[in-house]
Amino acid sequence: MVGALLLLLTGAPALTIFGCLVSRGPRAAAMLNLAAGIVAFAAAAPLTVMSGGGPFRYWDGYVVFDTAGAWVVLCAAIVYLLSSIYAVGYMRLLDEDARLPAFYALFAGFALAILVSSLMNNAALYWIAIELTTLVSAFLVAFERAAESIEAAWKYIVIVSTGISLALLGTVLFYWNGSFVLGPTYNMTWDALRQAAPAMNPGLVVLAFLLVLVGYGTKVGLAPMHTWLPDAHSESPAPISAMLSGALLNAAMLGIVRYLVVADAAPSGVMPRGALVVLGALSLLMAALFIVRQQNIKRLMAYSSVEHMGVIALGFGFGGPFGVAGALYHMLNHSLNKPLMFFGAGNMMRSYGSKEISRIRSVGRCFPVQAGLWLAGAAAITGAPPFGLFLSELVVVRAGFERSFGWAALLMAGLLIVIFIGFLNHFRAMYFEPTADAAADPPARTSGGWCVAPMWLALAPLLVFGMWWPQSFWEFFRQTARLLSNAAP
Amino acid sequence: MSARDVLLQIAQVVSVLAFAPLLQGAILQFEERVQRAQGPGLLQPYRDLWKLFHKQIVVPETASWIYWAAPIVAFTAMLTVPILIPVLTDFPLPLSDMGDILGGGLILTLGSFMVVLAGLDSGSAYGGIGSSRAVMVAILAEPTLILVFVGITLLAKAMLPFVVNHLLVGSPAVYWSPAHLFLVAAFFILLLVETDRLPIHSDTHIEVYMIDEARILEYSGPLLALLKWASMMKQFILYTIFCNVLLLPWGLSHLGSAVGTLASLAALLGKFLLVALVVVFVETAQSRLRFYRYQEPLAASFLLAVLAIIGTQL
Amino acid sequence: MLLTQLDPLAASLFSATAIASLLLAFVMLGSRWLDNYLYAFAAQSWAMAALGVAVGYFADSAELYLIAALSALFRGLVLPYLIRRMIQRLHVARELHETLRPASALVIGALGVIFSLAVSTKIAVPLGLGGTVVVLALTVMFATALIGFLMLAIRQEAVSQIIGLLVLENGVRLGAQILIPGMPLLIELVILADVLAAVACLSVLVRYLLSEFGNASTAGLKRLVG
Repeated sequence: MVGALLLLLTGAPALTIFGCLVSRGPRAAAMLNLAAGIVAFAAAAPLTVMSGGGPFRYWDGYVVFDTAGAWVVLCAAIVYLLSSIYAVGYMRLLDEDARLPAFYALFAGFALAILVSSLMNNAALYWIAIELTTLVSAFLVAFERAAESIEAAWKYIVIVSTGISLALLGTVLFYWNGSFVLGPTYNMTWDALRQAAPAMNPGLVVLAFLLVLVGYGTKVGLAPMHTWLPDAHSESPAPISAMLSGALLNAAMLGIVRYLVVADAAPSGVMPRGALVVLGALSLLMAALFIVRQQNIKRLMAYSSVEHMGVIALGFGFGGPFGVAGALYHMLNHSLNKPLMFFGAGNMMRSYGSKEISRIRSVGRCFPVQAGLWLAGAAAITGAPPFGLFLSELVVVRAGFERSFGWAALLMAGLLIVIFIGFLNHFRAMYFEPTADAAADPPARTSGGWCVAPMWLALAPLLVFGMWWPQSFWEFFRQTARLLSNAAP
Repeated sequence: MSARDVLLQIAQVVSVLAFAPLLQGAILQFEERVQRAQGPGLLQPYRDLWKLFHKQIVVPETASWIYWAAPIVAFTAMLTVPILIPVLTDFPLPLSDMGDILGGGLILTLGSFMVVLAGLDSGSAYGGIGSSRAVMVAILAEPTLILVFVGITLLAKAMLPFVVNHLLVGSPAVYWSPAHLFLVAAFFILLLVETDRLPIHSDTHIEVYMIDEARILEYSGPLLALLKWASMMKQFILYTIFCNVLLLPWGLSHLGSAVGTLASLAALLGKFLLVALVVVFVETAQSRLRFYRYQEPLAASFLLAVLAIIGTQL
Repeated sequence: MLLTQLDPLAASLFSATAIASLLLAFVMLGSRWLDNYLYAFAAQSWAMAALGVAVGYFADSAELYLIAALSALFRGLVLPYLIRRMIQRLHVARELHETLRPASALVIGALGVIFSLAVSTKIAVPLGLGGTVVVLALTVMFATALIGFLMLAIRQEAVSQIIGLLVLENGVRLGAQILIPGMPLLIELVILADVLAAVACLSVLVRYLLSEFGNASTAGLKRLVG
């Protein structure tokens, strides 16, 4: 059953790629992509429930499906569904109908690469899947072929490819380290590395982990390797920004987490976890600084992604049941919230014709329904109750104090307050400041139902999860924490 | 300390003295031939020296005692160094443990230093240019030279050139090791720099292109002959170190007999021919560069020396 | 490691080839001409293939010969050909603006090699592999990776950055060849194919840059700040 669902999950986007390439027009391609999104989500939801039954291994050990991977798959599938719905309405506005079938093919390929990477058991194959996501998404970022888009795509591909090459160096060092215990030729699965870990050389493990952290951390968007993130996320079309923020960053984080398990099993001291915590704290600091003085609406959302990835990194770095639970819940809520924000930003961009915050005014008056949704999303993303991110951030802070990283938890709390103020200040300006030019024409209403429905679909669960943390989630997180902590399964 | 060894030591110094102009003549002749000109003939430097010794000395009014001391110190330093290095024999001769590789390098530098001072001494503009350029190049070249000596020392675990020579002759593994190959390359670049064969200077008489020659523009007569001879001997000595210690350590006399010594002298001249060919080729194949690009070959040499030192650790 | 029992002459030649490929990376640092980068990269790939053949010979494994041959083909012929086509489409033949002088870059590269040696010794000595070819492999691997990184950082032409990225990957490959020759064949092949795909995508992006900006220099990519 699990195997069949996995095939459905990955087969739907794969078939969509072919379908989009041979399809006649943009509408057909958009609908095909939407169908793939629905199928993928329909497969991912029960898979998440079933993953608790233990790590399933397929294809001679090359594919693994455990709770951690299942969670990332779920988040990715949610974002894929929401983005596919949004893209139907949004991409029509770009006047690029001739290239849309190729766009949707790349879109489906992107989703496929993200889903596949979460299922890879072999560390080298995981690396290849992540590299493929970079290559595919670079063209998605450059889709609009404007000067800024091409610049963003170039920066993205060069910086992330460099990081990924460093991650390859770390992978090679891990393989070499393992070869002392497991012999010169072996299948480098996460389990094999973890088994060999206690006998590994500690210094080499620390070096290899740091390389992997920096490498995949570039992909996740941890500071100081985050420099590509604001550019790529702001210049790509809004559905792609949502996918990049909500799905891709999680998949790269999964790699760091799996290597962290290996580093923990080896006697490597506090350095690996400490490095992850430091990078997470630095990400929060960078995000806070740039959010306060931001002028571009989509870059604002991108820096918010950096902030949330920092929180997730802190959660995994703190570790323990609370840290892991907080980080995973944060992943889910972020994957719901960030598409909401990007969709709203995309709608506003199209309506007001500009990305500058200073040009977007009186949103509440002009678009009552969307404005309400967007404002609720803004409150949510800065960590206000009653939304889900508040709960997860609280759990992560608690984990920090419990695991003797108190300084990091305090820093995190302080910076979250700064971000709250800074971020909502921009929204205050957009909603409640009067326009300088009172006789300006109200902006055109260009976004249809396709562009607003996903915002509802994203906000509702966010509200629910903020007020109710299901017990089944707790069980799931506890199982994942045990999986990621080398205790006997 | 037998009489034969003392004779051999004297023969080493005399052969350096006698054949240095021949080497210079060969290099200049090759350069001209490569450019399809006639060339002044192999023995032209001898004729130049002869002519200069018969000319009158003209001393600038602003010259001090350094003007007189510099040629003498330079010439004497160049006479001292051949005592320390394997020129004709591969066993140490009397007084050759007076200094090791580093000591030899320091004495060579002393000679250059005095000539630099002499270029500044008379206050002429061209002397100043020459001295400042020579020192600019030396600032980068001397540390690299020291690094090369460090590399040689680490390679052979001794600071005596004779030990290095025996090691390279005896063990092909060390000869072909990356440390040795990089030391050869680094020293080759330094050879070009110290003998003023960088593709920056030009052989014309135009002062703007001169690096080392401009220092001695104020000299005339026998003092000029001494300076020129000293620079030719420095070139000979550097070539000797390059060939006999690093690149082609074979062909030196084991026993010190007369026949062996003469044969090793002939072999020495043959090795120099090869190196001179390569130097001429490198110099003429590259068009003249701007002066500030002197950093690039020196940075490359520094790099090669560092790689050689790292190679000795591996 | 299976390579610690080489006889001294063979070990010297082995070391010489490995360090020669490191030296070719320095050629790229010290030059300004795009063609020089290309030829040095191709020569480095061939030197690495030669090393791969040597490793295969000493380890008695036919798989390694195959991988070395494929590496020589793809990294030594196909990739340089693709990059050459890219260079021909550009209107420049060399780096026009330099962030760092070639001489200074060479010195920084030398410092990087010293740093790599220090790190490698610190890793290898506790493992008991202190004087063996492992230290050489680690040093050359880290140093080539650092030089590739340096090239990426200081060069402004897009093609130079691509070559820097390829040198970085070459460095990783060099170390992997010597340290983990037993890596499964499938993984090696997929990584090779992935490098090709990356260069293909990068070349398409270079074409976008050319069509939008008229040149492939990243010095003009300054619109996105803050």
